[in-house]
Amino acid sequence: MFSFTKKQEIIDIADTQIGGQPGYLPTVLIGGLFFKGEPDYNNAKKQIKKMYNLSEKTGNPAIPDFFIRKEEYIDKIIDFIEKNIPKNKPFSVDIIEPDLKIKTLETLSNKKLLKRTIYNSIHVGTTEEEQKTIKKHTPEAAIIVAFNPKDKSPDGKIEILADGAGLTDKGLIKITEELGIKKILIDTAAMAPGDYSGASIAAIPVIKEEYGLATGCAIHNVVEKSKWVNTLFPAAKKPVDAASNLNISLFGGDFAVYGPIHNSDLVFPIIAWEDILVSEYTERYFGVKPVEYHPRRKFFEK
Amino acid sequence: MKSKIPITTVIGSYPVEINTEEIIKNYYIQKPISWNKYIKSAVDDMIRAGIEMISDGQTRDSFVNIFYRKIGGCRIRERPEVFEKIRYTGPITIDDQKYVRSIIPENKKLIGLLTGPYTLSKSCVDLFYHNEQELAFDFANILREEAKNLQKYVDMISIDEPFFSVSMPDYAKDLIEIIIRDLKCPIRLHVCGDVSDIVHDILEIPVDILSHEFKALPKLFDVFKEHSFNQEICLGSVRSDNPVLEPVEEIVNHIKKGINVFDDKISQISPDCGLRLQPRDIAYKKLRNLVKAWSVVYG
Repeated sequence: MFSFTKKQEIIDIADTQIGGQPGYLPTVLIGGLFFKGEPDYNNAKKQIKKMYNLSEKTGNPAIPDFFIRKEEYIDKIIDFIEKNIPKNKPFSVDIIEPDLKIKTLETLSNKKLLKRTIYNSIHVGTTEEEQKTIKKHTPEAAIIVAFNPKDKSPDGKIEILADGAGLTDKGLIKITEELGIKKILIDTAAMAPGDYSGASIAAIPVIKEEYGLATGCAIHNVVEKSKWVNTLFPAAKKPVDAASNLNISLFGGDFAVYGPIHNSDLVFPIIAWEDILVSEYTERYFGVKPVEYHPRRKFFEK
Repeated sequence: MKSKIPITTVIGSYPVEINTEEIIKNYYIQKPISWNKYIKSAVDDMIRAGIEMISDGQTRDSFVNIFYRKIGGCRIRERPEVFEKIRYTGPITIDDQKYVRSIIPENKKLIGLLTGPYTLSKSCVDLFYHNEQELAFDFANILREEAKNLQKYVDMISIDEPFFSVSMPDYAKDLIEIIIRDLKCPIRLHVCGDVSDIVHDILEIPVDILSHEFKALPKLFDVFKEHSFNQEICLGSVRSDNPVLEPVEEIVNHIKKGINVFDDKISQISPDCGLRLQPRDIAYKKLRNLVKAWSVVYG
């Protein structure tokens, strides 16, 4: 547990605060929906309600992350967001295909939802067409995926953020800023087991110390790819998946992209527990007093 | 025309078009990313152009970063940094040479490219040594380890030292000697830029072939005329810093000029330097015209 010498930025996205010194804000939990099959909106409503309830109980802010896989889902998912996500809360759209990203931004703009949108994500594969659309329909915040195919170490992640590693003309942070996005979150790009997976956790303090930006990752992806857990210990998959997020809080991270959202019942109490542990130390040693809604204050010190 | 016929070859890096969309999609599905297709694109261009001695094209990274990325004690952030005592931690370029060897015809030769120790020492931020000479010698010892391995897989090794033309250190010869001591394969030293003032020092370095930018800097012909030496010459014959395509006739005349100066000391005909900064189609056409000109002169 530590404190950073670099000033740590705190960003506010639709009244949800992310970033800062370890122990100050609770870890923000970004839960993923619609990874597989047809989107199940009824179940999504239940899961999001459960997530918000758990957030209320623990103090860890909750942000739903909508994975959009097909063009035909864009309108329906955004309608769902408009109707079901409270107007004072942010949400994230998680899309791989550049064409779908462009169409989603246009739809979010038409619906006037961009002020609450976290764009997931900007990376080495962000196309020029996509960049033009982002400039025109600028989301409130964006997640930058610090994936560097040339070097998966924490240094390599800094390289891709700082100068693009010869794959982009500029560093990804500069590109994002020039697109007009002022609120930046860094995803440290979790890799599969055997492919330097631990570097995504080790990179959290390295990137926060270098840039002071809100940093986290989707470490659950490593569990998804851990075949040995899934085949030899199927009953442990969910607890291991949820517990993997502990690393983020312990290494000073600000947010965890966890998935699927069905794991909320485990993820929230686990992360709240870890946040309390971190806060107890960082307040006594570094004098970082947690915010009022921090789980430590909710459960121990009113 | 001449009893000794030089071969066509390349210098340094070759342009590459990287598909970053594909790279990120592979990341999302956690599919391993192979660089072989990019190496193959460079090699295929060289073969299609008719080049006889092929390289891997250094498509993987810049010619310095290829080395910093795999040398212990170095890291690349905004710039390459040396943060602790540097050390050889294993093969740097060898896997790519093995791959190239596996995809080129048997009658083609392969040249391995090493960026020189002085250039490596000058192209990074030194956070540890604070002594340029000590750092350069440690790089030389590391490159020696790489060269010992590399010679098993290539027909020739080129040591590329562009920084010699910027500031030639007193210990330049010692650095290169460390690398080449006891090597069994022939060695080329490539120094691009204006070497007019350092030709005397370069000629002291006991390599087999010297490579310079004779096309961009024809005044070098006059400078070399003033010296007698034993090394062979790799004659830079198309410009690497200019996208204008030299007509075959122009290259032919340049080679003939080179023959007038160097006679049969010319053992290689190549571009002046790496073509990485040129569009790929221009780079290919420059190689193609180079080979055509070679055919006119030596065919």
